[in-house]
Amino acid sequence: MPSLTLLGQSALSGVFIGALYGLLGLGLTLSWGLLRQINLAHFALVFLGAYLSYQLAAAGMDPLLTLALVAPGFFLLGAGLHWLLARFSVSPLNTLLVTFGFMVMIESLIQWIWTADFRRMETGYGDVRWRLGELYVSLPELLTFLIAAALASGVWALLRHTDLGRALRAAAEDAPVAAAFGVNEKRLALLLSGACAAFAAVAGVCLALSHTLAPGQIYAWIGVVFAAVMIGGLGNPLGPLAAGIVIGVSEALTMALTAPAWAPLVSFTLLIAILLLRPGRVA
Amino acid sequence: MGRLVLEARRLRVGYGAAPAIWDVSLEVGEGELAVVVGPNGAGKTTLINTIAGLHRMESGRLVFSGKNISNLPAHRFCDQGIALVPEGRRLFTGMTVRENLELGAYRGAAKAHRNTSMERVLGLFPMLREKLALPAGTLSGGQQQMLAIGRALMARPQLLLLDEPSLGLAPVIVVEMFRIIREVNQAGVAVLLVEQNVAMALQLAVRAYVLEEGRIVAQGAPAELASQPQIQRAYLGH
Amino acid sequence: MKVLAFVGAGAVLAIVPFLGLPAFYESFLYLVFHWIVLATSWNLLSGYSGYFSFGHAAFFGAGVYSTAVLAGKLGWPFLWTLPVAAAVPAVLGVALGAVVFRLPALRGELFALITLALMFVFATIVLNTPLDGGPGVYMSAVAVPKLAPSVSGSFYLLALVLALGSVAISYAVYQSRFGTGLFAIHDDEDVAEVMGVPTLRYKLAALALSCALAGLAGGVYSVFVSYVTVSETFSGWLALNVILMAALGGTRHWLGPAVGAAAVTAMTYYFTTSEYAVAGRALVGAIFIVVILFMPNGLLGRFSGRKAFAREKQKELFKIEPSRPGPILAVRGASKAFEGVQALAGVDLEVRRGEILGLVGPNGSGKSTLINVVSGHYPIDSGSVLFEGRELAGEAPHRIARGGIARTYQIPRPFGRLSVLENVALPPMFGLGALHRRAAEGEAWRWLAFTGLEAKAHRLPAGLNLHERKFLELARALASRPKLLFLDEVLSGLTPTEIDEAIRLVRAIREQGTTIVFVEHVMRAVMELTDRVVVLTNGRAIAQGAPREVMRDPLVVDAYLGAARA
Repeated sequence: MPSLTLLGQSALSGVFIGALYGLLGLGLTLSWGLLRQINLAHFALVFLGAYLSYQLAAAGMDPLLTLALVAPGFFLLGAGLHWLLARFSVSPLNTLLVTFGFMVMIESLIQWIWTADFRRMETGYGDVRWRLGELYVSLPELLTFLIAAALASGVWALLRHTDLGRALRAAAEDAPVAAAFGVNEKRLALLLSGACAAFAAVAGVCLALSHTLAPGQIYAWIGVVFAAVMIGGLGNPLGPLAAGIVIGVSEALTMALTAPAWAPLVSFTLLIAILLLRPGRVA
Repeated sequence: MGRLVLEARRLRVGYGAAPAIWDVSLEVGEGELAVVVGPNGAGKTTLINTIAGLHRMESGRLVFSGKNISNLPAHRFCDQGIALVPEGRRLFTGMTVRENLELGAYRGAAKAHRNTSMERVLGLFPMLREKLALPAGTLSGGQQQMLAIGRALMARPQLLLLDEPSLGLAPVIVVEMFRIIREVNQAGVAVLLVEQNVAMALQLAVRAYVLEEGRIVAQGAPAELASQPQIQRAYLGH
Repeated sequence: MKVLAFVGAGAVLAIVPFLGLPAFYESFLYLVFHWIVLATSWNLLSGYSGYFSFGHAAFFGAGVYSTAVLAGKLGWPFLWTLPVAAAVPAVLGVALGAVVFRLPALRGELFALITLALMFVFATIVLNTPLDGGPGVYMSAVAVPKLAPSVSGSFYLLALVLALGSVAISYAVYQSRFGTGLFAIHDDEDVAEVMGVPTLRYKLAALALSCALAGLAGGVYSVFVSYVTVSETFSGWLALNVILMAALGGTRHWLGPAVGAAAVTAMTYYFTTSEYAVAGRALVGAIFIVVILFMPNGLLGRFSGRKAFAREKQKELFKIEPSRPGPILAVRGASKAFEGVQALAGVDLEVRRGEILGLVGPNGSGKSTLINVVSGHYPIDSGSVLFEGRELAGEAPHRIARGGIARTYQIPRPFGRLSVLENVALPPMFGLGALHRRAAEGEAWRWLAFTGLEAKAHRLPAGLNLHERKFLELARALASRPKLLFLDEVLSGLTPTEIDEAIRLVRAIREQGTTIVFVEHVMRAVMELTDRVVVLTNGRAIAQGAPREVMRDPLVVDAYLGAARA
């Protein structure tokens, strides 16, 4: 039976990995919940963002500053992808397929440029750690958590308290009637898609700060992030964060108490359980 | 009859081979209350939705307060001063009552007066005041209809479009609702009402149109139409 | 004819290993056959029924590892592992389906995502248990059965058998009642269920077949590559490839996936075996996107392999025998609410055998809801519905259809990608008589003649105008020879002449012995046709009786025209 300290440390790191799930899931839950588009390319974009910031950091730039370059570019990418899907009136199921195709293409691009070798961002960030009683917290973990919480809360506040947010939610529910009250659904959709891609860039940087990168790793995150999104409720920016933390802590404790390798089963089981108990809540 | 707030000329809206409405022309004067009645499947909702900008018309002209709006995109209609109370309410059920009302005042000209509009609407529908923080989907049918009308009024329209507002409502609520519609009209808002409740509709209106199988088959002052056997037969079969 | 061509092609292909060609050709063709099996098996569930699976690799991998463990680790003879390689994925698939298929919320994209996650779960389990454990499984020691002069030739023959088998199964399903049911599920699962298709059973069967075939391909593959790893086996790229092949060739056609598989394998062979493997994958992704955007129906999309059977001479219409005394339908206290709206608030009514009962009432009074509840489209909240003495509340919709109840939809809901003939042929296949396709199409011709739609039998429903689509609804409902038929506003939107024609038809239907409940707003028709009328308002029946009396009842006039007219 592991010690209390070990369990505590596991739970704590579970919280931080959960925050990363939440950050990864933010763009996904917004585009799925508000635009009815499941964008599998989101994961590839996250990794592309991670690799780009790795590259820029290797050239001497501060990792967080790389966002200033990467995020706007991704905004345009995201809006562009949405424009393409709208232009061809792609159905929701086919959107899944097309974005799957883009995911594979981006993954291949990453592998071509950076090869399949493992890449680890070398910065000063990784070395900084603080003590919290018997437990340790590293800077990248803390940063990820703070960024995830701030971004999710910010988006939540925007959706709830601003005209733009209300317009987005109305258009998501009933676009023709929203248009009857002046909501320009097309323009909002482009804006939202761009934002989701920019969020992917942010998630990428945080990922690069704390994880080793390899192209094949993209697939490892799909299952657990979708689980976080679905459990947290589509369209709710805080959902993936809360659900992610629950999943993260459960996984970490499972790993500490049994074998590390069973962690992915946790999210899958939780997801199936939630879907069986609350089937109406999704999509 | 003073100026026209709405002029529709020879509208044709079609799905494939058979048009839903064709050769439909109607007018609503400033501050008037006009009514479109007709059996199910006649095309009433298509007509109202076209005037609200939700449907593209294949041919015809739509003029609002002298301005040709036939080719405007859907989201620009509200700007002109048209507000819609859709069939079946179509509230944003995931949003609160307050948010639904606020959304009604999304368009620029209405946004500036949002607070005064809100007060006015709550004055008209006092039962909504205590429900402001509740999700719209939890309201009863009658309350939802009131909210839908309130949402449209928040847009400060010159023309209010109502599509079968009495659908599925208890008779006593229907009476109250029509009283409010009359009050709104008397305050100067032109109203185009599509209704199945013929008696109520003809009582309120200054002008009536009968729509059957996609075409206007009769029009005129309600008193004339009410006595026509056409209406009786269409609705009761005798 | 087709069978002959098939066997002939098979025989010709089987000779290839004995021609002494270089191993390269045999290996290349092995891969082509391998992908044909994977794509065709995927299509059985996902293409035919519309339940897109992203997790084909999971079931393929289950087959790979079944053979890898049994032959590679436990020393079983290779061929003996193949039944296991088929059974294991099938059982896993059915277990998943038994849970997931019951939840209507998990259709479409959600099903795709769950299967994608499944792939990852399987990979984790295999990686972290003695099944693989991490280092992979070496298969080079496994003896390959000597079916041909060379080893590659033996693999060629194994894969050829699997490929021919898969395509044959795909064809057989396509032409059968099972296939019709799957296509109906694809177009409109709820309507299919109400028309008698046992949707859950069919979906599970298609899934089981799909998984079994994928598993077999996996079992053979594990020995072909001779070294098996988790990451290579459970790859998302495999899922993409399979979907691409089926989509390229055409998911609605039995040969589509095979054509697509051959095309893509040939195109990318150069890439995947050289150092340009990465570029190859990107290319495949790009082709995929282009196909989905520009050719959503695939190469064979324009060809329908389903030939209708030759039309046979029509026998006479026979009458339906009355079975029991008493009302055919007795509804007591039926209640149904949707999200706070009480659509039915305790409806009591009776339908007498052989009558035409008019069901009228203002919009929103609950007429369509009543039909939906009786036919099983929605479950009832409380109350009872007795059909010929049997309680219907709580029954699965497809069983209700088999009991002899049929209905039309107010807004026609034909199966969009089945022809008019196939639409009408579906209920006889799954209704009271449970006919086979040939006989069902014979029935269908009869009803097409009855409703005047013969000339359009081979068109798709989108090519019909409103009047024709309403009559298609009618023909489809009649084709199952129901004892009780619900007509939901069949007349709305029709011209007066068309209405007269419809009235004539409804009378003829009653002549045959079908009891009819007739929901209508066109009052002229209600007056002419009905024996009795029931008026619904606000979810309750407020008046019943002869049409003329009921429509003069002050309560009823009030409900329709409003208080002022009382």
